[in-house]
Amino acid sequence: MAYRRKPTKAELRRQKMEELITYPLDWLEERSGLVGGVRYFLFRNVPADVNWMQTLGSAALTAFLVQAITGVILAMYYTPSAATDPATGKPVAWESIVNITDHVTMGWLVRGMHRWGASVFIILMFLHMGRVFLFGAYKYPRELNWIIGVLILVMGMMEGFTGYLLPWDQTAYWATVVGINLNGTAPFLGPWLAQFLRGGQEIGGDTLTRFYSLHMLVIPGAIIALITLHLYLVIRLGVTSPPWSKEAAGEEPAEEEPVSLRPGLTRPVPRGAGASPMQAEPGGRD
Amino acid sequence: MAAIPKEKPSRVDEARAQFARYKADVKARGKPFYPYAMFHDTIMSLVVVTVIIGLAAIWKWSAWGMIHDPTHKGILGPEVDPPADPGTTSFVPRPDWYFYFLFYLLRIFKWPESVFLGTIGVPTIALVLLIGLPFLDRRRVRRPSARPVAMVAAVLTIVSMGVLTWKGATAKEALASEVIQDVPRWASTEHLPASALPGAKLFATAGCTACHTYAGSGGSNLGAPDLTAIGSRNLGIQFQINHLKCPSCVNPGSPMPPFASLGDARLRQLAIFLESSKGTH
Repeated sequence: MAYRRKPTKAELRRQKMEELITYPLDWLEERSGLVGGVRYFLFRNVPADVNWMQTLGSAALTAFLVQAITGVILAMYYTPSAATDPATGKPVAWESIVNITDHVTMGWLVRGMHRWGASVFIILMFLHMGRVFLFGAYKYPRELNWIIGVLILVMGMMEGFTGYLLPWDQTAYWATVVGINLNGTAPFLGPWLAQFLRGGQEIGGDTLTRFYSLHMLVIPGAIIALITLHLYLVIRLGVTSPPWSKEAAGEEPAEEEPVSLRPGLTRPVPRGAGASPMQAEPGGRD
Repeated sequence: MAAIPKEKPSRVDEARAQFARYKADVKARGKPFYPYAMFHDTIMSLVVVTVIIGLAAIWKWSAWGMIHDPTHKGILGPEVDPPADPGTTSFVPRPDWYFYFLFYLLRIFKWPESVFLGTIGVPTIALVLLIGLPFLDRRRVRRPSARPVAMVAAVLTIVSMGVLTWKGATAKEALASEVIQDVPRWASTEHLPASALPGAKLFATAGCTACHTYAGSGGSNLGAPDLTAIGSRNLGIQFQINHLKCPSCVNPGSPMPPFASLGDARLRQLAIFLESSKGTH
């Protein structure tokens, strides 16, 4: 043990400062374990050979966050009313969209990002899905996460369908007329579903308000819940190596290849959690 | 130890062993998510946000243009179309691009016998297959070269989705301004009486030709039937009016939207035109 000198005043002050700064984090960690959780999320290992294709999932998440943030701002200015403005003779919802796009400061940017972000979000989800398919990453034990991903894709397309009506212009109206009628051709539930979506026999103000509610409350809530579950499973199960990688994690080495050639693996891998060090010693295998 | 005969491990055991091996491998020679993977993720996210902002900027600046008209079409479409008007039906329904494949599927399956396949059947089967994929393909091998069936299926899916989307995007639209020029030709080839002409003009401009064909004009959207010889069925003026007012009331499950907003007088004109269309040429 080396001799420890008495800390100087400056060092003591510094130590105190550090304690003061970390105090809120320590407080939070002691009561929630969240700090440890975040630390695990950030510093957990991923396979050394992950590649750029594996950024598509987080890119889709970013696109969703763009939709969420711009959507909240749009909701502050948008009015979901099909009533006619007596001053202009135009529908109130349509006018609020024109107002956002042409008059609200940076409104065009927020609405433009929301409108085009929707397409980017859908494209990224499809690309991400293609990557997962190519990598065979939907196989054991990640089957459930594939299904959750498909549900997020379906929900995303439902967002597209409900959001399309909100500008209350000709395109929106007639596309929704046909879209709802198509839902109506489904057996048994079809007519009921069409009736529910329309909020009556014809598309009107009731349709607009329920599409608005679905678009900004119900479906986004479901998507957020599904994304949370999706990410939890990604972190719990880990991401896969590219299947063609020479050093793909978890792949068995080729028959003839000596174990010593596998990078970073100088001893047999202990099987199962909590394996004792004895089993991991060379020769511990039979 | 060697005397104990080894049983062939079951598929589940193999999968579990492989996953345990994966966990150990990642622990032993992986790299921490932060900063390595997170760095790539951050760059990609910045690219995504930049692309979205870029699209918004191109859309706004090209649509706004010099004339300051919110309905002016720019490179990426207008800021907004004219206000929704249930009375003016001369509008061609067009969904967002990611529904084009469904949109075009409806042209393949003809109304009314098999339209159900296009609207619900094929999409439902596709969705079930997609959700069921991990259970259909239970082999452990992940290399694409060792999964020829999966790869061929994927390529076929992508190609067919691409073709359907492309066909949906380029599907010919029947514009009212073009179709109305065909009305005199209809009158001569179909021997329409003069009383049918107001209805014929209405038919050309009220949006009917977005989904129906007539004597070679119009587009067969959603697999709607050709109406050149609809009058030969002698359904009657009143039936035609009732049907136009509420198609699904007369013809359960019909995806055709109601046209009651045209008003009784114009509906009668349309009905006369339809009943006069005997397909006599």
